[in-house]
Amino acid sequence: MLDNAVNWVEKGDKDFSDFRLTDVRRFHGPCRLYGITFYISNTAHPTMSLFGTTAGFGTGGTSVFGSATTDTHNPMKDVEVTSPPDDSISCLAFSPPTLPGNFLIGGSWANDVRCWEVQDNGQTVPKAQQMHTGPVLDVCWSDDGSKVFTASCDKTAKMWDLNSNQAMQIAQHEGPIKSIHWIKAPNYSCIMTGSWDKTLKFWDTRSPNPMMSLQMPERSYCADVVYPMAVVATAERGLIVYQLENQPSEFRRIDSPLKHQHRCVAIFKDKQNKPTGFALGSIEGRVAIHYINPPNPAKDNFTFKCHRSNGTNTATPQDIYAVNAIAFHPVHGTLATVGSDGRFSFWDKDARTKLKTSELLDQPITACCFNNNGNIFAYSSSYDWSKGHEYYNPQKKNYIFLRNAAEELKPRNKKW
Amino acid sequence: MYGTLLNMKYNLNRVITLKKAKQVWSATRPPAMAEAEAEWELCKENIQPLRRGRAISTLTEALSLQQEGSSAITQRTQQAFESELRIYEGDDPLDVWDRYIKWTEQTFPQGGKESNFSVLLERAVMKFTEEKKYYNDVRYVDLWIKFADSCSEPLDIYRYMHAQGIGLMLSAFYIAWSEEYEKRGNFRNADTTLQDGLKCGAEPRDRLKQFHKALQARVTRHVMLGMGQESDDDTMEMEEPNRKTLAELKALGKKKAVAPISRGSSIVNTQPRGLQMKAPMAPVRNSRLMVFDENKGLAESQEPKLESWMGPPSARHKENEQKPDKWTKAKLPQKTRAGLPVVMPAPAKPSFQPFVEECEHTPAVTPCKINPAVNCVLSARKPHREETPLKRLQDWKEQQQQQQAGGSQAPGTNGKPREQSMYCKELLFSGASEFCFEELRAERYRQKHAQRLVASGSGQSAAAGTSAAGTSAASESFCAGQSSSGPSQ
Repeated sequence: MLDNAVNWVEKGDKDFSDFRLTDVRRFHGPCRLYGITFYISNTAHPTMSLFGTTAGFGTGGTSVFGSATTDTHNPMKDVEVTSPPDDSISCLAFSPPTLPGNFLIGGSWANDVRCWEVQDNGQTVPKAQQMHTGPVLDVCWSDDGSKVFTASCDKTAKMWDLNSNQAMQIAQHEGPIKSIHWIKAPNYSCIMTGSWDKTLKFWDTRSPNPMMSLQMPERSYCADVVYPMAVVATAERGLIVYQLENQPSEFRRIDSPLKHQHRCVAIFKDKQNKPTGFALGSIEGRVAIHYINPPNPAKDNFTFKCHRSNGTNTATPQDIYAVNAIAFHPVHGTLATVGSDGRFSFWDKDARTKLKTSELLDQPITACCFNNNGNIFAYSSSYDWSKGHEYYNPQKKNYIFLRNAAEELKPRNKKW
Repeated sequence: MYGTLLNMKYNLNRVITLKKAKQVWSATRPPAMAEAEAEWELCKENIQPLRRGRAISTLTEALSLQQEGSSAITQRTQQAFESELRIYEGDDPLDVWDRYIKWTEQTFPQGGKESNFSVLLERAVMKFTEEKKYYNDVRYVDLWIKFADSCSEPLDIYRYMHAQGIGLMLSAFYIAWSEEYEKRGNFRNADTTLQDGLKCGAEPRDRLKQFHKALQARVTRHVMLGMGQESDDDTMEMEEPNRKTLAELKALGKKKAVAPISRGSSIVNTQPRGLQMKAPMAPVRNSRLMVFDENKGLAESQEPKLESWMGPPSARHKENEQKPDKWTKAKLPQKTRAGLPVVMPAPAKPSFQPFVEECEHTPAVTPCKINPAVNCVLSARKPHREETPLKRLQDWKEQQQQQQAGGSQAPGTNGKPREQSMYCKELLFSGASEFCFEELRAERYRQKHAQRLVASGSGQSAAAGTSAAGTSAASESFCAGQSSSGPSQ
């Protein structure tokens, strides 16, 4: 395992030669049988109650890797990804269905992007990594699974060709790039980057100049793309929806359904697999479900509270935490939220109920994502800077956990 | 009347002499420079005057920037200031605010929303209300004076400052205050204020004395000219208005500063313009220094009392701004979300004394024709109708006190579970615009990185070179590792 550098500032220079490739394999190597259901082999994995007591678990190493842990860094006893980054993980992305197998990409504040292969038996194998000259804020895959796009604070975005393990710069902004998404339209393909320089730019990866640049009223804080819809949430509670058919153009500016700073956004689809709305998370424990063209907006759009403590106890003040990321299950349409409190929750937005809340981790959960068939839920545990730099501990380890998501995210009633 | 004509002539003369001066001036300058100077003349009316005046070079630069639309630089500088505000860890946070506000002033001559000037000013002023060490700091008091200028009721601000002890040792404070009185025509108080300042030993003393002398000169001149003209606001309203051929410029609201506002020696021109042919008033009304005006008398005599102010009074009424209100109806999914006003519960036991304005709203002293027993003519302002900085600061102070007492309370909640945000609110929202966690962190990273570059660049470039080589060698080993497994597709 990698040692954590003592001084996080030094991490940029750290020599990563000890990041061992335990299983050298080409990306289009021998295919795994795609139809096998993926089980995470967690040695002690009985059905847990929702707010489960830990009775019944063995005391010895319940995770596949690592030594026996009695601390709360992994209370859900999920699979730990090997060789996690040395600093806070900012983004996670699983490979698209066009790529056989499951490959996980994670970007971190240690300026690196790492790639792991997640095997069917639950093992995670570090495959490769790339560096930026600044912290990586977002990653995404191309639709064919051959390229990974990474966006960083160094104002550039890079295209990482996994086969050749080469990365080249494909975008340039005047400020850190906060979000990056791949757009695959029938008549064009491009990269969309949203930045703190208040612009949204679209790049053909072959040209150094953007295909299009749209001005935004404020800095872009989060974005999501499901063709033909893109939504960008900006500072000062701005919310803009773009339509991507033919060429990207602004579709509508929406009054924010939330009263606090926007933090994360995720588009959801309807039964016909068309994007129909989005979930927006704020910095104060609330998520808004918003449909673009609902039959009855007053009834259909709603918000719900999440990531708060002391729910019913009115004697002590309720602690409100930021919602760091939202992800929709690709099959069930239910959603997962992860928060600054160190918990993740699963929700059914159609039944408007909570499906599950996890135990408390000892660090905030900064990012999450589902794999392409919805069997794996990945979430990362690291400091999100929600309390400023005084609470930052460079010694603290950062983790990425993998969880079996096939059962827990089934919707309450068969509406989906 | 005589005074009016004199003023008109004076102004005409000024315009003529200015024009002549410009011609002479531009004739002596090289043509390019004359053009550059003429540029700002063209949009003079859009440039807000500053007390200290503007540096012509920065002004022309700012104007040209705006014309060319190259706001990227401005934006970057603004962002840099915002970051600095949050990252600063030294002893003198006021310095950052001070520089930021001064830069904003110079860079945005028209003021306006994008400069966030008023927001910044308000925040800066409120942020340091607890810091006694700044109470007599010239920069802080200057901020307060600027803030007062932008408020609808500067006198209230100055009174608040006096009550709190802000600026008591600085002559700038007393001068600004007395200027405000002068503008209203209240020479007696203007005089008293300056005398107060001299008594308190405000520094720099000479300036105060000089201003006092100048004030007295102005007052006497005004008395001489003031035959038949009353600049008292109240009595003007009571006069029968003759048909005015040229209507005077009457200001809205309480400020009643009639254009042109000149800060020079002829500050006394608050008389109405227009060709009013007023018959010389039968009773020769001397200046108000003589007349006992019960309205002002009673009001002002209450001044020296130190009210237990909790917060500075209202600033300019803000129409377009929406404060994040509490979500009072969480269960109903309804469309009218953003517009829900905060229903302020009347505090059961207010821990502060609400400020009661002496003028106009106190029926007993208003010289009104209405039966004084009927005192609901001008009802007290309902607390929740106006979200003013006064209210905000009062709320904040109340919260602070309650927090100290134990348990925190979000404003507007009543019987609902109290809430506490578990993130660094002050850091995120301390400047004019908000930051997100990542921006904070990126800023810190950038700072550390810059420091590291400076440290390493000075004498250790060799070391940096080898480490760079090391990382590239490492990444090469990955590539070697990959390709060695066979021809990659």
